Amino acid sequence: ANIQPPEKPLQAEEWNRLRESFQSPGIFEEVMFNSMVRCNSPIDVAKSLLTHVAKSNGDIAYNLLVKYLALCVQQGQTSEIRDVYDVMKNRFKILESGAYNLFIRGLSNSDQWRMALTLLEEVKKIMIPSRTNYESCIKAASRHQEMNLAFELYREMLAKDLVPTLDVLQAFFDFSRGMKGAELQKELFGILLYLRENRIYPHKTFMQSIKLWFESIPGENWRGHLTSIKGSGQCPVCNHQLEDSDLTEEEYNNLRERIISDVIHGTDTFRKTSPQEFEAFQRFVENRFPFDIVIDGLNVSHIKPRKMHCENLFDAVNCLAKDNARLLVLGRKHMLINSSNWKREIMKEMQNKADFFFADNISEDDAFLLYATLRSGKHCKFVTRDFLRDHKACLSDSLTRHLFRKWQHGHQIAFSPSVEGKRISFSPALCYDCVIQTTGDTWHIPYKDTFEEKYSYEVPRKWLCIQQK
Amino acid sequence: SCSPSEKLDLDAWKKVVKSGLQEEVSETVSEHKELSTLAAARKVLEMWRLAGRSVPENISEEQLKTFMECPSKSAKKKYLKFLYLKELYKKNDKRKVDEKRERRLEAQERASETDETKRNSFVCLWANSMDRAYSWRVAQSMIFGQPLVFDMSYEKDMTVREVANTVRQIVLSEGSNRRSVDPFHIHFCNFKDNSLYHKEFIKHYREAWGKLLITVTDQCYTDVFPKDKLVYLTADSPKVMKTFDHDKIYIVGSMVDKSIKTGVSLARAKRLGLETAALPLDKYLLWNAGAKNLTLDQMMHILLTLKDTGDWKKALEFVPKRKYCGFVSKP
Repeated sequence: ANIQPPEKPLQAEEWNRLRESFQSPGIFEEVMFNSMVRCNSPIDVAKSLLTHVAKSNGDIAYNLLVKYLALCVQQGQTSEIRDVYDVMKNRFKILESGAYNLFIRGLSNSDQWRMALTLLEEVKKIMIPSRTNYESCIKAASRHQEMNLAFELYREMLAKDLVPTLDVLQAFFDFSRGMKGAELQKELFGILLYLRENRIYPHKTFMQSIKLWFESIPGENWRGHLTSIKGSGQCPVCNHQLEDSDLTEEEYNNLRERIISDVIHGTDTFRKTSPQEFEAFQRFVENRFPFDIVIDGLNVSHIKPRKMHCENLFDAVNCLAKDNARLLVLGRKHMLINSSNWKREIMKEMQNKADFFFADNISEDDAFLLYATLRSGKHCKFVTRDFLRDHKACLSDSLTRHLFRKWQHGHQIAFSPSVEGKRISFSPALCYDCVIQTTGDTWHIPYKDTFEEKYSYEVPRKWLCIQQK
Repeated sequence: SCSPSEKLDLDAWKKVVKSGLQEEVSETVSEHKELSTLAAARKVLEMWRLAGRSVPENISEEQLKTFMECPSKSAKKKYLKFLYLKELYKKNDKRKVDEKRERRLEAQERASETDETKRNSFVCLWANSMDRAYSWRVAQSMIFGQPLVFDMSYEKDMTVREVANTVRQIVLSEGSNRRSVDPFHIHFCNFKDNSLYHKEFIKHYREAWGKLLITVTDQCYTDVFPKDKLVYLTADSPKVMKTFDHDKIYIVGSMVDKSIKTGVSLARAKRLGLETAALPLDKYLLWNAGAKNLTLDQMMHILLTLKDTGDWKKALEFVPKRKYCGFVSKP
């Protein structure tokens, strides 16, 4: 049901004619207002329709008022927004979130932005404001250089467990440009640390705002450079070595405990393994650890689809067995049965080069992979093409999930992309931690090249290096 | 086009809307000064409804409390939409019933005009005598029939709504079992009195709950039957069922898992060391979309058909059509 709104205000009888020619007159006004919003019609046209509705019905339905309001907000008609507020407030006492969102958004962009703050207070009485409500108010406050007020709102929304949009965070940097003040600087560093703690990577334009802000601080001489950081983890601009991805003793133990309780046991140990099997595995690991590399045998055996499964595994084991590294290969019992994909002789030969543990065919070997790697200590790495997203999801709080990501980036050996070649080769795990970091007189900020979200297992390669001269 | 806009008072609507409520204000102001949280929530819902969101017209005190206990905004929205749709279906059903009644009355009037008398050797007591015949058969099966176990130990793994859905599916299953030629002897095992399951069953069956021809016990199936005869049916089982065995006792987990909790029932069978089996869906059907877990009433239809005919193709007709695109030509 599409309909073109008129270009000029109409008289009552003209509206009536239009309405009757419309296929379903019951929803004529609604459809008409929707298309007015879509076409950004002149406000007088909408007013003439409202007047017509008011005169023929003696009242105007709430949803029509909201749609009219949307049109006013779209066109920044501040005085009209205020009028609508008075009308609606008088008529309905409380409003719902849709109307409040529009009022707050509309007013925060005008010179009456303080009224938006009042409305925010009103919203708080009946519900938790949305993060976009806060966003509008914070942006309005910082646009008018009321940074204290903006930060107060920001802290308030964090306390309510609302996740700020990157837009809001960027606004803080944009509007603080060139301003002096130790307090302000501390607050903005706080935002960078918030990004660090939550392992959030800013996108390119946000990164630019951060860079410009640093460089604009009067008398501090910050300089920013864009760069990319290679495997060694040394910044090519300032030669600074990035933080390594090792967890602290406490974090490491914490992560191990949580993997055992949340991933392996979960709600029921029988879902992924069985208590007997897990005990047997623990005994096996205790007798042989520490390992240097733990390999997900089944995953590796599928790396080249043309080859026999056991040949793939054999290649991988040979490739990793250099330097006397102690290997553990996890597999399932069916691999021991001589078949076209699993030749007994090759399996025998491999078992001379590495330790093997075969889980039941219906058990999850990934959980064992994590356990064996974590039990062997910080130096131990693991090999799989799996991104382990489902295991990360089993962890019950975000802090442990971040630890898991950090540990994974530092310990997962991936296959090099040149899988097309004849030989299997591996690219080592990252030895530095890909997260926003500072030493006081330097900041290193990884950023996403594109705006859209990266997969959580991917890390950006591009960095912003900021240093104080 | 013929009307110059100067004639129009474009802000006239404001006056109308404001004047329309002058009387209302005086009475509502005092009353709304102290709103209880419940009343405030009700008011907010009313505004949402006015804004055209999917919100039910009427909401009970209890539903309102459930609404307020929802942990997140999206949970609240979902719950309201659920109530809204429920209300809509109810209204439609009521309308249909009314229409039907009217039509029947009309038909009766016409029939009484023509006044046709029927002669028949049977007294018309169909429903009643059918019920008795069914009950007789089920009673027979309780003595001689093959047992079929519903494992009622999943309450902790489900939300309240999932439990309600489960019970509804079991009620349907029990109904189709009762009407079949050779019914199973249904066992509810691990059934706790006053559990959520129990409450939901009473909601459905009312007084008939006590008269159902099924065995309900709080014992585990492993205590009731010999272990080597039990087979736990679960979609996660690595073993695929080849034929229906008339000497085995099949167990079906009474669980609806909308969030697809993989391996919950397999874990239960593993813990007790029971044999497991999955339906040979991939062997016979070209699977299209959807999870391999079927509803309990579909399972019941499939098992009944297998029991009567042993014909997989016929039995798997009860898999919803949207989930597969055809039968494998050579199984």
